[in-house]
Amino acid sequence: MILSTKKLRKEFPSGETSLVILDDISFNLEEGKSLAITGPSGSGKSTLLSLLAGLDTATSGDIILDGINLNNLNEEERAVIRKDKVGFVFQSFELLPSLTALENVMLPSELKSEEDPEKKGEYFLNRVGLSDRKGHYPNQLSGGEQQRVAIARAFACSAKILFADEPTGNLDPKNGKLISDLLFEVNSETDNALVVVTHDQELASKCDKKIQLKLGRIVD
Amino acid sequence: MLANLSLKLFVRELRSGYLTSMLLSLVLAITIVSGISLFTDRLEKALSSETKEFLGGDLKFESNENAIKDSLKELNLNSSNFLEMAVFASMVISEEEMQLSSIKAVDKSYPLVGEVELKNESGTYKTRNNPPPGTLWLDERLKNLLFLEYGDVLYLGDAEFTFTATIVYEPDRGSTNFAFAPKTIMNIEDLGKTNIIQPGSRVEYNYLFTGSETEIGQIRTLLEKNKKKGDEIESLGEDSSSLGRATDRSENFFLLGGLIAVLLSACTVGISSQRFARRHISYVAILKTLGMQLNQIRSLYLLLFLYITLLTLSLGLSLGWFLQSNFISLMDSYFPTELPTPGFYPLYVTCLTVLICQFGFIFPHISKLLDISPMRVLRSDISFNQNILPMFFMGLMAFFLLLYIYTNQITLSLIIFSGVIVFSFIGIGFIYLMLGRSKLGLGAQDPVNLALSELRRRKLSNSFQIFAFTVAIGLSLITFSASKNLLGSWQNSIPEDSPNNFAINITKEDKDLMKPFLSEKGVEIKTFFPVANAKILRKDGQAEIDRNFNITWVEDLPDQNVVSAGNWFTEDEINGLSISSGISERYNLEIGEQIIIQMEDGAIETFIQSIRTVNWDNFSPNFFLIGHPSLFEKQTSTFITSFFIPKKDQKVASDLMREFRTVSIFSVEELIKQVREIINQVTKALNSILLLTCLSSIFLAFSALQDGFDQRRHQSAILRTLGATSGLVRTSSLIEFSILGLLSGILGSLMAHTGVYFIESKVFEVTPSFYPEIWVMGPIIGIGVVSGLCFYLVNGLMKQSPRDLLKLQT
Repeated sequence: MILSTKKLRKEFPSGETSLVILDDISFNLEEGKSLAITGPSGSGKSTLLSLLAGLDTATSGDIILDGINLNNLNEEERAVIRKDKVGFVFQSFELLPSLTALENVMLPSELKSEEDPEKKGEYFLNRVGLSDRKGHYPNQLSGGEQQRVAIARAFACSAKILFADEPTGNLDPKNGKLISDLLFEVNSETDNALVVVTHDQELASKCDKKIQLKLGRIVD
Repeated sequence: MLANLSLKLFVRELRSGYLTSMLLSLVLAITIVSGISLFTDRLEKALSSETKEFLGGDLKFESNENAIKDSLKELNLNSSNFLEMAVFASMVISEEEMQLSSIKAVDKSYPLVGEVELKNESGTYKTRNNPPPGTLWLDERLKNLLFLEYGDVLYLGDAEFTFTATIVYEPDRGSTNFAFAPKTIMNIEDLGKTNIIQPGSRVEYNYLFTGSETEIGQIRTLLEKNKKKGDEIESLGEDSSSLGRATDRSENFFLLGGLIAVLLSACTVGISSQRFARRHISYVAILKTLGMQLNQIRSLYLLLFLYITLLTLSLGLSLGWFLQSNFISLMDSYFPTELPTPGFYPLYVTCLTVLICQFGFIFPHISKLLDISPMRVLRSDISFNQNILPMFFMGLMAFFLLLYIYTNQITLSLIIFSGVIVFSFIGIGFIYLMLGRSKLGLGAQDPVNLALSELRRRKLSNSFQIFAFTVAIGLSLITFSASKNLLGSWQNSIPEDSPNNFAINITKEDKDLMKPFLSEKGVEIKTFFPVANAKILRKDGQAEIDRNFNITWVEDLPDQNVVSAGNWFTEDEINGLSISSGISERYNLEIGEQIIIQMEDGAIETFIQSIRTVNWDNFSPNFFLIGHPSLFEKQTSTFITSFFIPKKDQKVASDLMREFRTVSIFSVEELIKQVREIINQVTKALNSILLLTCLSSIFLAFSALQDGFDQRRHQSAILRTLGATSGLVRTSSLIEFSILGLLSGILGSLMAHTGVYFIESKVFEVTPSFYPEIWVMGPIIGIGVVSGLCFYLVNGLMKQSPRDLLKLQT
């Protein structure tokens, strides 16, 4: 089991009371499998993703990632988990504007102090079909190209699990399909688990497992 | 609707805290500008009336003859704005003693300005009248020397007088050149019966005038027309006394402090406005998409900035008034009366400063903001027009205007302006080149690599940031230096044991006896300067030099004289004459020029060997002309010297006068005290300015850092999402900003060093010195302040989760 949650709850303070965003979320995901999290806007999908990836902490409940309970860790320890076990793809790409495409892809390897980050970066950039754009900065790339760089960066993490938050949300249907195909294609070449938050039913249907959220609870 | 929306926007902006640095900088700038201009305005008005009293009127005419009196008749002058006085030296004789005195015979208009303060057996009192005929007023020293009581009989020439009062304060104390001996004031109607003034007598006729600017202008024209050789005209504003120079300098200090604080604040306002505009891009795009017209959006932002102006003006002016009240309370013991109320000038200068800051540093950013395309709503990558030239130009214009307002001198403004531009280009270019080319990758393996890579990667923005820190550190160091070193050197120019007594008319015989006499009483005399009256003529007969000078001849360069051109006298060469730089400039006299020195005992042909800068504030005998003794062997002269008598031993001065009756001794103790007092009070006031300038610098450094951190926030969020620890981000930021701080500190020290050199040599006219502490403090402040502020900002970032940071970004 690469990821499991048990009675997960997340509240945000709102004035004198608190707002429950997620409640009683429990599920399991096996290694190498994919999971789609769907639901209407405001249902808590992105909040759940950030908890699962160790970007934020739950109010109560457990998140076990590769055998480690994230809720028992502080921010520094969670950062190490993110570095070693997690990869990300965001809706708004989140590339560093001051780095070239290649340098953005090299970043996870640099953080892990791996040998020859350049070689690894070039490999993944080539894998997403952008080797000829390696010297370009994000503002010189189209939306689709930027997301491909983000995917290359996520796979360059050598992660055990990859989280994608609306990876096709900012793209037109044609580019959206290309990106979702690429995501699953590259993922199939690794033994990574994949968690995708999406509105896109076609993308969700590609996943091995699907959970639907409504008002912070799993309904399906 | 617009007013409502703009008010809401204003309140929202205030609450958000994003405007804090802009508001604080504007309030601080207004506080400093209004505080200083209110203070200097009141000080100037007070000084003008003080100087008027010191001079005795608005205009003074000095002549050795009273021939001008007939010409004055054609002006039909009213007796209330015209005073005639005769000044000469004569012996005053009491029943027991006799003493040389400086006599001032005044007509019924005396005193033309202010009041005379006198003392008699009933105590002190003030009067606006001249002494009644048959009476004399004497100063305290003369009363003691002559062993007088009020009502005693005195003799002056052939006439008998009654001593009725001692002089405590006379308003026109700067009006006479015979003020070296103890003073006597008499009625001019009694002058005839004394029979003292005979053909050939050395007497000086002074005519003092008051009136409107036009009347004074007419009088001056008439006097210029009838002026003869040796006659002198002096008007207000030509005061070259130590007191005048001291107050002039204090004003220069304040204006310098004010200018620096305003420039720092203007930079902060510029950076804050840039952030403001960036934050409002989406807002303006949405308003445009919703159909709001450009004029309406422009009005909306104009209203917003009107509120900001009104808020900052009201706060700044109130604080400015408080600041100037504090300055006044420091200085009020110096001014005998209440300081005049300020005019409208301070308000005008303050409002003009705010307006220039807005047009030069805020509106260009707002104008760019208004140009944003409504397409931004759909495409977040759309940003400002990249052409920064118009904005740069407006900023420079505003900078120049501010310089001009504060210096009021076009040449000086141009010099500083071009200096700053050249320094900026060289500085930014140098930093840019020094940071070098970036290597592949972010270098996120360790903090040092990451920091160095960030320094190179953000080369351009780092160069501007370093430049902003450099300006902040450099200007603060200049103010600090002005406050400590310049004031220190000024204070040191009047050491505790500065000579407080001058002795003149010393014969050669007296000279030989005076030194042991004083030495026995514990008073040391360093040098006796021979002194004679001389005129210099150009050998080629060109351009006459229309005045007489006191000349001395010594082998060694006197203290606080510095040779600025040519060489001082040497034993193995032919020696000539050394002249002061003022005389050289005024009469266009150059090194090597052949001249004739015309003296009572004959003429001496020689050449100008050197030009000296003279510290006229040192309370020692100073000379326009110094010759080599070998040229003056045949000349007869008297001697002049100065010495320090401790306050407790003032009796020594009376003993000296009794022993050497022909020697004239006068005390400058009161003047030294006054100048010292001004320096001390100015130091206190300037420390407040220093504190406010440092605050402006911190605001500027903080704004520059905050601006840079907006971009770093995103990077930090992504790095932490990808697994970078807070330690890596925090340490690399601290290393990066410590390097930025160190570079800024070194460059700030260089800027301060250059600035202080310029200010010392050009503004305060003292010999520039090397201040090692500037070079130590600059880097320490740079690293301390910049990394301290960075630590504060990074800690704020680290408290937020990467998820929140990414959310903030989108």
